Amino acid sequence: MAEDAFVSFRGVFAGYGGADVLKDVNCEVERGGVTTIVGPNGSGKSTLLKTVSGLLKPREGEIIFKGQNLVGKTPKEILKLGVVQVPQNHSLFREMTVQENVELGAFLVKDKKVVASRLNMIREMFPIVTERANDKAGSLSGGQQRLVEFARCLMLEPDLVVLDEPSMGLDPKTLKSMFATIKMMNNAGRTVLLVEQNARRALKMSHHGVVLENGKVRLSGTGSEVLNHPEIGALYLGGSIEETTAATVVPESPESESVE
Amino acid sequence: MNSTALLSAAKDGLLTGSVYALMATGLTLIFGVMDIINLAQGILVILAAYLSYALQIHWHIDLFVGLLITIPTMFVVGIVIERLFIGRLKGPEKTAMSILVTYAVSLLIEGALNMTFSVNDVQLQGWYVNRSFAIGSVHFGYIYMAGFVLAAVLLSSLYFMLYRTQFGVSVRASLADQTSAALVGIDVKRVSTICFGIGVAVTAAGGMIYGATNSFNASTSYDLISRLLTIIVLGGMGSLGGAMLAGVGMVFIGDMVGVIWSPVWSSMSYFIALTVVLLIRPQGLFGKQSARVA
Repeated sequence: MAEDAFVSFRGVFAGYGGADVLKDVNCEVERGGVTTIVGPNGSGKSTLLKTVSGLLKPREGEIIFKGQNLVGKTPKEILKLGVVQVPQNHSLFREMTVQENVELGAFLVKDKKVVASRLNMIREMFPIVTERANDKAGSLSGGQQRLVEFARCLMLEPDLVVLDEPSMGLDPKTLKSMFATIKMMNNAGRTVLLVEQNARRALKMSHHGVVLENGKVRLSGTGSEVLNHPEIGALYLGGSIEETTAATVVPESPESESVE
Repeated sequence: MNSTALLSAAKDGLLTGSVYALMATGLTLIFGVMDIINLAQGILVILAAYLSYALQIHWHIDLFVGLLITIPTMFVVGIVIERLFIGRLKGPEKTAMSILVTYAVSLLIEGALNMTFSVNDVQLQGWYVNRSFAIGSVHFGYIYMAGFVLAAVLLSSLYFMLYRTQFGVSVRASLADQTSAALVGIDVKRVSTICFGIGVAVTAAGGMIYGATNSFNASTSYDLISRLLTIIVLGGMGSLGGAMLAGVGMVFIGDMVGVIWSPVWSSMSYFIALTVVLLIRPQGLFGKQSARVA
């Protein structure tokens, strides 16, 4: 395990209804950086994130965060440790106002003064929280909802922000703003674990990249290394690393290759 | 038919409907938060009525005073049922399985009630049960008025809890989206257990008023559950506001139809109204296809 590993996945098997989607996943998330997980549809990216936030309990393996194994902990216990997830589908409570939604981000914080102070800070970072405070969340556009979700997740002042395909359904202009917001969160000291279909753009801003294929880690390295790896394009064109690069890619371990 | 008869029917519909609304609110709260269709709600109303009956017969406790005992008792009964039977249901078949499980619970309670109280009809008694006062030519039964006030107080308390307390925020969030609620730190399992308890606790008041205004035995629950299910489907599964409006609306419609046409059509009118609404709006009056709301 690298010294600066913030989260370590060790031999993680997980899935649904008895079938494994993740098959012996071993990888790490660097402290203070942005780590992007990319891979084709069905490779297990979102499943991996669910194991971090406690929505899915791995069948086997460990997920070590701050020296504690997250496996078996409830989402609430994991939140208390400082891990917040923004799921793939819009997760705002549509019938509640924007402010109610953002305040819910600090549901576990009992001190009302602390909540008020954080809300003020969030308002400065995300003007929409003030501008649309009393509007129902369901009345916002997709991009606006995503921003409010980001605002909400920061109310807990998390150490690790887990984002599952935040660009899904956003127009190009909003997309740019969304990536800028992720960068801003990272600059504010949050470690970010990101799953993103818009792989090239995400890897460009990432410190670290992991490629999942068929539930296994096939590549890992710095963002630019993964981005410039000759096989990554082929992978997204529907091929597999083994099929396209048998001559050039020889994994160091039976399951994965590091390009570092 | 005259205006007095119409006014009287409207009054009965409003007063009785509010009690149905209260019972249906418990049912829709349970579905909204837990995705559980509680077919035992009808027999739980009757169980609550028998509890009031037992307190009255054995300890001479007034029906309304008895609520101080029956409401917490039914809350505990709800918690026990949730822990023993409902909490074990998981996975995509949970809702379908809940129909079978709660029906089995219903049969168990029905059998126990028949053994304990026999199958003979009983009715709750009190000095106020058969008394009334008149405003103009319309008579208001004390027990119906009390039922209306009780329903209004309990429903207002429920709304206060939902919109003014931290627990209410948890419930509303769980009603809207259980996964998102869990991701902000809400203990959805605990919220579900308490909501089941609350959903069953409201049957204490509903059962007492029902038992004071109708003779009943354990098998009366079948008529009750069919009405309650009709109300929550019409209002929109999981919608508390919808359950309240549909509860009052359906009894009101039934009574009006009974006066205008014939009492024979009174019960049928519920189902005609339900069919018409579902043809136009399959999710019910206030139900939403994508998300349930309080």
